[in-house]
Amino acid sequence: MNNYLNDGFNMVTGLPMGNFEQEMPRDNNLSLKLAKQAGDNMNFNKCGYNGNSNPNNLYDIYNGFIRGNMFPDLYNQYKITKPFDVRPMNEQAELLTKVDAYCFAAHDVALYLDTHPNDQEMIRLYDSLNGEVKKVTREYENKFGPLLKNGATGYPWTWNNSPWPWEK
Amino acid sequence: MWKYEKRLQYPVNIRKKNLKLAKCILTQYGGPAGELAAAWQYLDQRYNMPDDRGKALLTDIGTEEFAHVEIISAMLYQLMEGATIEELKEAGLDGQYAQFGRDLFPSDSFGNPFNMTYIKVSGDYIADIESDMGAEQRARATYEHLMDLTDDPDVLGPLSFLREREIIHYQRFKELRDYYLKMKK
Repeated sequence: MNNYLNDGFNMVTGLPMGNFEQEMPRDNNLSLKLAKQAGDNMNFNKCGYNGNSNPNNLYDIYNGFIRGNMFPDLYNQYKITKPFDVRPMNEQAELLTKVDAYCFAAHDVALYLDTHPNDQEMIRLYDSLNGEVKKVTREYENKFGPLLKNGATGYPWTWNNSPWPWEK
Repeated sequence: MWKYEKRLQYPVNIRKKNLKLAKCILTQYGGPAGELAAAWQYLDQRYNMPDDRGKALLTDIGTEEFAHVEIISAMLYQLMEGATIEELKEAGLDGQYAQFGRDLFPSDSFGNPFNMTYIKVSGDYIADIESDMGAEQRARATYEHLMDLTDDPDVLGPLSFLREREIIHYQRFKELRDYYLKMKK
């Protein structure tokens, strides 16, 4: 249970992306250190962020996901001193969190690429994230049923099965 | 076109019912700085962006905003799940109940229905993108106000995630605006 999100998270770029095998709570020290480097309490309206980034200075997949932000330079916290861990209640929720985290990382990098379409290094990162998204989605769908309708195959019809996203 | 994916962008698991908080969070569904307004605004503006960068960014962020509509809706559903009539009355949601029962309906925290004039479209791409930057800032501020109103970690988690998305979107819109201003010179 505590090892969820461990496999594959470090293979995305081959770059140091944090340690996912430790027990929860996760490496908040690392996260805080990264956030400190970025200037924790900056007012993001005035931040010196120049809009360029590279895979080396992004959060790892899990820490980016729980922050809602893959870019430490842009991270700006409010009220809570550290982001909350996602605590899945069962194996299905664990695997879904993994899908969520990879999809999120790929999406956040994609928004960056929309305004930086010539950044080759980030395109390479996007490609590898996208590969992971496909892999974990397939893994989830094989075990627990379709996320997208085209993941529904065979008898009986599985698309109708609970849980729906808004259900606990 | 759009495809439905059977998951939330960020998980919502709220264990404690809180109707007053639900009433406040309602504004991020159907209020002036809400997710619905943002989604429509960006998707309406994308047709007149001068190049592919703008079309891509507005399509992608507009699409993400619909995922945020779903996160907010899930929060509202879970915060109000199992509410008794007495609890609804006490939270001032009796009018909501009279009109809509237990269905969701996009309105602000005061019960004013969602209004299409929240959507800022001007036909001028610089003015449009700057209104998007403003929309992100107002939504960020609203999320901060909502975070001030609760100490429930089950609620703060998704609120914090959504607030952070406003910061990222603001940055990307700003990059787009700056790029277009440079191109114009």
